[in-house]
Amino acid sequence: MKRILLLAVAAISLRADSYFLTVAGLGGEDQYDQRFSGWASDLTKLLKTEPGAKVDTLSGKDATKANIEAKLRALATTKADDSLVLVLIGHGTYDDLDYKFNLPGPDISATELAGLLDKIPAKQVVINATSASGGSLSTLQKPKRVVVTATKTGTEKNATVFARFFIESLRDPAADTDKNQAVSVLEAFRYAEEKTGKYFETQKRLATEHALIEDLGKGEGVKAPSAENGEGLIAGRQVILHLGSVASIVNDPEKQKLLKRKDELETQIDELKYRKAAVPQREYQQQMRQLLLDLANVQAGLDK
Amino acid sequence: MKLQTAKLQTILFGAAVLTVGFFLAQQGGLFRPKPVAAQTPSQVTQCETLRKHGDPGTKACYQKLSTSNDLAIKAEGLWGLRDYQGANNAFQALVKARPKDANLKVRWGRMFMEYSQPGDAEALFKEALDIDENNAKALYGMALLATDTFAGDASGLAEKALKADPKMFQARELLARIALEDNHPEKAVEEAKKALDMSGEALDALSILATVDWLDDKPGTEWIERVFKINPTYAEAYSTAGHFFVINRRYDEGIQYYRKALEIKPDLWEARAELGINLMRFGQNAEARQNLEACFNANYSSPLVRNSLKLLDSIDKNVETFTTPTTVLKLDKKEGALLRPYFQAELDRAMAIYEKKYKFKMTGPVQLEVYPNHPDFEVRTMGLPGLGALGVTFGKYVAMDSPSGRPPGQFHWASTLWHEFSHVYVLSMTNHRVPRWFTEGLAVYEETAASGATDWGDRLDPPSIMAMKDKKLLPIADLDRGFIHPTYPEQVIVSYFQGGQVITFISEKWGYDKVLAMIHAFADKKDTVEAIEQELKLKPEEFDAQFFPWIEAKYKKQVDGFQSWTDQIKLVTQAVKEKQWDEVIKRGTEIRDIYPDFVELGNVYEFLAKAYLAKDDKAKAMAELERFSAVGGRRLEPLKQLADMQTEAGKKREAAATLERLNLIYLEDEAAHQKLGKLYMDLKNPNGAIREYQAALDAGTIDKAGAQFGLAQAFQAANRPEDALDAVYSALETAPGFKPAQALLRELNAKQSDNKQSGNVKQ
Repeated sequence: MKRILLLAVAAISLRADSYFLTVAGLGGEDQYDQRFSGWASDLTKLLKTEPGAKVDTLSGKDATKANIEAKLRALATTKADDSLVLVLIGHGTYDDLDYKFNLPGPDISATELAGLLDKIPAKQVVINATSASGGSLSTLQKPKRVVVTATKTGTEKNATVFARFFIESLRDPAADTDKNQAVSVLEAFRYAEEKTGKYFETQKRLATEHALIEDLGKGEGVKAPSAENGEGLIAGRQVILHLGSVASIVNDPEKQKLLKRKDELETQIDELKYRKAAVPQREYQQQMRQLLLDLANVQAGLDK
Repeated sequence: MKLQTAKLQTILFGAAVLTVGFFLAQQGGLFRPKPVAAQTPSQVTQCETLRKHGDPGTKACYQKLSTSNDLAIKAEGLWGLRDYQGANNAFQALVKARPKDANLKVRWGRMFMEYSQPGDAEALFKEALDIDENNAKALYGMALLATDTFAGDASGLAEKALKADPKMFQARELLARIALEDNHPEKAVEEAKKALDMSGEALDALSILATVDWLDDKPGTEWIERVFKINPTYAEAYSTAGHFFVINRRYDEGIQYYRKALEIKPDLWEARAELGINLMRFGQNAEARQNLEACFNANYSSPLVRNSLKLLDSIDKNVETFTTPTTVLKLDKKEGALLRPYFQAELDRAMAIYEKKYKFKMTGPVQLEVYPNHPDFEVRTMGLPGLGALGVTFGKYVAMDSPSGRPPGQFHWASTLWHEFSHVYVLSMTNHRVPRWFTEGLAVYEETAASGATDWGDRLDPPSIMAMKDKKLLPIADLDRGFIHPTYPEQVIVSYFQGGQVITFISEKWGYDKVLAMIHAFADKKDTVEAIEQELKLKPEEFDAQFFPWIEAKYKKQVDGFQSWTDQIKLVTQAVKEKQWDEVIKRGTEIRDIYPDFVELGNVYEFLAKAYLAKDDKAKAMAELERFSAVGGRRLEPLKQLADMQTEAGKKREAAATLERLNLIYLEDEAAHQKLGKLYMDLKNPNGAIREYQAALDAGTIDKAGAQFGLAQAFQAANRPEDALDAVYSALETAPGFKPAQALLRELNAKQSDNKQSGNVKQ
């Protein structure tokens, strides 16, 4: 179940390497150049706080197609347990055939990016926060790869604000909705998607971007990932940034028992939530409360 | 100038207005005089004469015209039968054949006016004037349009029409109407009588004379008898009265006059639509719908009717009602839970203070409706979108924008609420017989005076500064004109400012009791001149002679320094762009106090704060933002920044006050609610924290577990363990591994077990 997998990922992540590549593309105008490179710089600072993370950034005149290709080719040596988060910030275009990320010099297309990514063994997350990024989704999507786009189609061409809120999610503890001291791709997406929507709503402006997420490797992306549409499972496991200290591995046999009990309880809680509609409300509440109390007691035991 | 335009817009939004008549007039054609007969074919004149006299043969007459082979006559016939589409086709063909016929264009334009398409009408009148600049009928048409939109040149256009055709009594009737709308009944009577001298059958002049009497509680028998002698079915006379009662905010009587009009002529659809709109304003939605649907089904589907029907559908679906013995609060379901605690608290506070201040107790509950969708509010209040107001009062019914109905930081909802509820009291106390300048001026004054918060209300805006500089403020006896028939675009805004200052002046010089005495004088049917003479013992001119020097002295610094400030702020802005922080601080500090009220985008406080932060002087940056807040700044970002800085500096009480200010401006910021919740916990105010954490949840925070946990802690601090337990379970259901919530659950559970045990022992 989800919780067990999370623990497994946490354990593995201690051995695996995390790679981050952020590219701020061509702004075209001073204000956009400054905005894009500013966002990339903010993101880099945040990602560098992640223990052991290998953070790389291309912006301004360095954000060329050749440099992106070189950086991605270099990642072909990564292991399957490693992870790569690629973040694209800037303007994009879509001509009904392919998406292109605007760069100084030649642009790079979604097809070209997909070709480079396909050669990288590491688990992958692509955050394409550019305008028209929806046009890249079908090309970039692949089983086990998480793809996030700032727009739902290639025809949403206005400069986007999604990146701003995506970055904000990594510094706002509110984004950590399950309070596990880590922000997953799913949590960051949900945060940024909601904040972007609110941004347009409060400005009384027609929303010109509608972010999507896709991690099944097939079908269209969704705005609201859920158990019903099956999207978000991989994104939920993939941590981008830890907010607190990484939990230490528990070697104490007594605590191993508690850990096992904790996993069981978390699984039962997940299952009960899943069955909520089918369980009478009072019964649901009683069961849920007992499980939550048991879990709290187990956690207290673990924290001793 | 960009600065002024931007400010003007803000002030327009910021001023909660009650210029009902002004906007009602935009609806057009309530009692538009009948078409001018001169220079029209005799058959048409014959039908118009029959109609004027209410002759039952009118319809047959127009039917005959509609079958004519002469396209001009046919068009008139179809129009007379209200076959607007057919008439339009005929006019279109005619104008194509006779492109230089100015009179034809005027007639076509008049048809468009009747069909609620003033834009097309105006274009045709202008085309006619291009052909013949002295075309009296075109000038008259333009005057009618200007009257409908309450534009300042309506009188001038009517005078021009009269000059071009001295026999045009309709233009004189129009001047009478304008005078009465300006609250000058004597002048209205004079003009109406002149119209009657020109034509003994000037029905609208007689209607105005009757209305003047009715407004003055006189029977008006002489005039209405003359009307019905000429035309026994001239229901428009009562409809005219309905209009004037409504614009004088005597809605109940207005509704009665519309009803009377409809008793005589049930198919007077303009009157029926007005009846529907006014019933809707008073919450009588079922009857309102009935009347509006009748209009719609009769093919009288003006935008006003269509919009109102749509809104009624929406109200039925989306509004929830909260009642107390003295109030009815209607909120949109999607934001009711969030808004209710804040709106109910301000509503109760405003009523308690006004009751004491005005020494008046409302009978029956008052109603407040809050609209998250501004166009809905516009339709609710005026029937049409395009209203610049934020709140409107109809007797004991107030409708206003929700804080979510505007971009954040554009208006202070609590200030608007207090403004409108001042009207509620003053209208009730005077039985709606109060000049507009007074009730608006008092409401503006009360926004800061009654609320006790100097940062509420409107800031001194550039149009008002320019009006003082250019000596454009109006004499007290003429101040109503500034609200109804402004002669320059910003005059309505300036008149609000002047009204507020007049009340301030009276209060400062003679004491607030004199303001109350004036309310009673108006209730006693005194007009402005009489009330000033009776209560202040001054002629209006003497009052002006004292008021103008007072206001000039009060705002001398701003008026004298405005141009220099305007020049300097540009330099400060440039220095900010160039990051010349010393220059920003030097120039910004020099001009800051010349015009301290400027708190819009590009204000000096934020520039200075930015400069100080760039120089790592947080204390001074915070001081500038504190000034910004104290003087009434409403922009969200600087206020949130200030609260964060105050929190960081350990000024928790001040930070909480800043976020409380923010709540009165914008309630949708869930993060701000959570911060205030935490501050209240630190300040040992658990009830405040409960409200704020609950608000964060109602605002749809993404951090549900965090807000629920905060709520649980607040409940615990407020000694509400059961609620705390519920909240902490909610937090953990959202985030089962949330360690602080787990700890609180264990603590609460242990206490509950202890209590149960001790309870058992006692048993």
